[in-house]
Amino acid sequence: MHTAAPIISARKLARRYAMGKEAVMALNGVDLEIQRGEFVALIGPSGSGKSTLLNLIGGLDRPTSGEIWIEDLELGKATDKRLVHYRRDRIGFIFQSFNLLPTRSAAENVEVPLMLAGVGRRQRRERALQLLAQVGLAKRAGHKPNELSGGEMQRVAVARALANQPALLLADEPTGNLDSKTGKEILNLLRDTIQAQGLTLVLVTHDLNVASCADRIVHMLDGRVAQIEIADERAARVELAEEVLP
Amino acid sequence: MTFGDLGRNALSNLGRRKVRTMLTSIGVIVGILTIVTMVSLGIGVRLEINKQFKAIGLERVFIRPQEGERNFFTQFAPPQRSKPITDAEVARWRQLPKVKEVVAEVDLPLGVASGLRIGDRTQQISVEGPANALNQVPFQQPPTAIAGQIELPSTAGSMVLTAGALRELNIGRDQAPSLVGQSVEIVLQAPRGEQQAFSFTVVGVSTDESPVVRVPLPDRIAMKSWWFNKPELLKSDGYDSVTILADDVNTASALVGQIRAEGFRVQSLELILSLADQVFTVINVMLSSVGGLALLVASLGIVNTMIMSIYERTREIGTLKAIGASRGDIRLMFMLEAGLIGLMGGVIGILAGYGLGKLLNRVILWYIEREQLPVRGDFFVVTPSLVLYSLLFATLIGIVAGLYPANQAAKLDPLMALRHE
Repeated sequence: MHTAAPIISARKLARRYAMGKEAVMALNGVDLEIQRGEFVALIGPSGSGKSTLLNLIGGLDRPTSGEIWIEDLELGKATDKRLVHYRRDRIGFIFQSFNLLPTRSAAENVEVPLMLAGVGRRQRRERALQLLAQVGLAKRAGHKPNELSGGEMQRVAVARALANQPALLLADEPTGNLDSKTGKEILNLLRDTIQAQGLTLVLVTHDLNVASCADRIVHMLDGRVAQIEIADERAARVELAEEVLP
Repeated sequence: MTFGDLGRNALSNLGRRKVRTMLTSIGVIVGILTIVTMVSLGIGVRLEINKQFKAIGLERVFIRPQEGERNFFTQFAPPQRSKPITDAEVARWRQLPKVKEVVAEVDLPLGVASGLRIGDRTQQISVEGPANALNQVPFQQPPTAIAGQIELPSTAGSMVLTAGALRELNIGRDQAPSLVGQSVEIVLQAPRGEQQAFSFTVVGVSTDESPVVRVPLPDRIAMKSWWFNKPELLKSDGYDSVTILADDVNTASALVGQIRAEGFRVQSLELILSLADQVFTVINVMLSSVGGLALLVASLGIVNTMIMSIYERTREIGTLKAIGASRGDIRLMFMLEAGLIGLMGGVIGILAGYGLGKLLNRVILWYIEREQLPVRGDFFVVTPSLVLYSLLFATLIGIVAGLYPANQAAKLDPLMALRHE
């Protein structure tokens, strides 16, 4: 469906952890390509390796063997410095528990990646306010995280992830700490954002409802890709199911 | 990350735990307070001594002849001088360039039994030369006249009495004017049984508290040659001391070397002053070490606080690393926080040290006032360089204390840190 070079491509990717004396293969030979502009959900039971894969894509961890390419950068062999710059400038991370800095206002939290990149104060404040407006929190810019609801905190986190204009968003159970209604709003926000800006989103979840928003669902099991579902087929199947049911 | 961002960041993080930050910096405050107080005391006292010495003049050189060692049995005997200071030497020194004044003196030796006879009263008393600017002692104010004149004429037969001598003689100060112009005698009693009287006229009474009478040089030469039974005293023993007043300090220190090479014992105020300086440096270093010890303990406190703070903020560090903070960013963040604790302690410590100095100075001045000592001024002087070095030192202590915790924070694995609860 895409002919251009993939933004992410993993080849025979493996990650082994030492758990006490035993070695656990968290990833055991994953081959996966994700195209620019795609929304991919990684789904699977706990221990299936979905989070490990996300961390490898995010440059927070290095593979034991295999390769993981983000466009022209192979993360496994990149220097620490390049990994830091990659995390700062080319990806946006969204966490399950938001991970906002508790003493900073919403706007200041959005500014952090810009601050790390050395952007001037006025410029980054402008950008932060613009991003907060974009996620619908223009009026909450001065509030500390403990004055915000869970949904609002996750919106701030989305704005923070977008601050350095990354091409790739990585979300680790972004709706896991939210009620289903708020979770749906966040998912819609993410979906709208990547569609409007042509971004790529890789989202880890164990919730099929959440995964069903994605263009593709990658089912993981025991450190391998078990199955890949494409939205169109699934939609067709769901429609079919609805027809069959009374 | 720019330096301004790092600074604001560190300040806001320190502000999160105000009490802990304050408590941690108390160690630094105490250390810097001690150092500032001690060093400012050292500086103040040194300045005061310098001032006193300079008031007398550093341009003076003191010369004495070389003498054989004296012991208990020979201390009253005439001195054995291989090279006496003769009139010829004194005359030669007077001719040296850049020499203003040369004063040669003869002292009556220890143990001369001299009695002052006024009317029918006789009192044992020491006989000395005139008090003048050349032999003025530091930290003493020059005496003033109670009656008559206290400038001793150089001609033989005149005498200046002191307040101390009056006390010994049981004569009230109010009777001093009646003594001026009166004839008195000094009676020497030699161990060989002879006795000789020397007549003087009192020209004045000074406020000097030492119980002595002051007579001119010719009389002292006469008394000493009678005592030792050496009619040609100046030729055989020479003068006991010579003071040279040079035009400037450089000439004085050059003279010290030159005359010492001629085989005399030479001393100058500058030499004494530099010795005093060394002593004060040593005392200063010792006193400051106390503050240094406090700072060492304080630095351990900073290490502890930083480790606690990093433990509390592990998750935050993980987040920062995940969204693009480098190890260097994290390390700098925490080192700056530790440095700020030090700097803050330094600022407060300097202010407190300055205040304590002012307070102690008042106490000292009050004591001096009570004891009527002739010293005034500031004994605690805080100089700009002391402030600067204290601040630098305090900050450095903080940064060094922050090195280990900051490194630990920088090394944290982002994944582990993010999982930390």
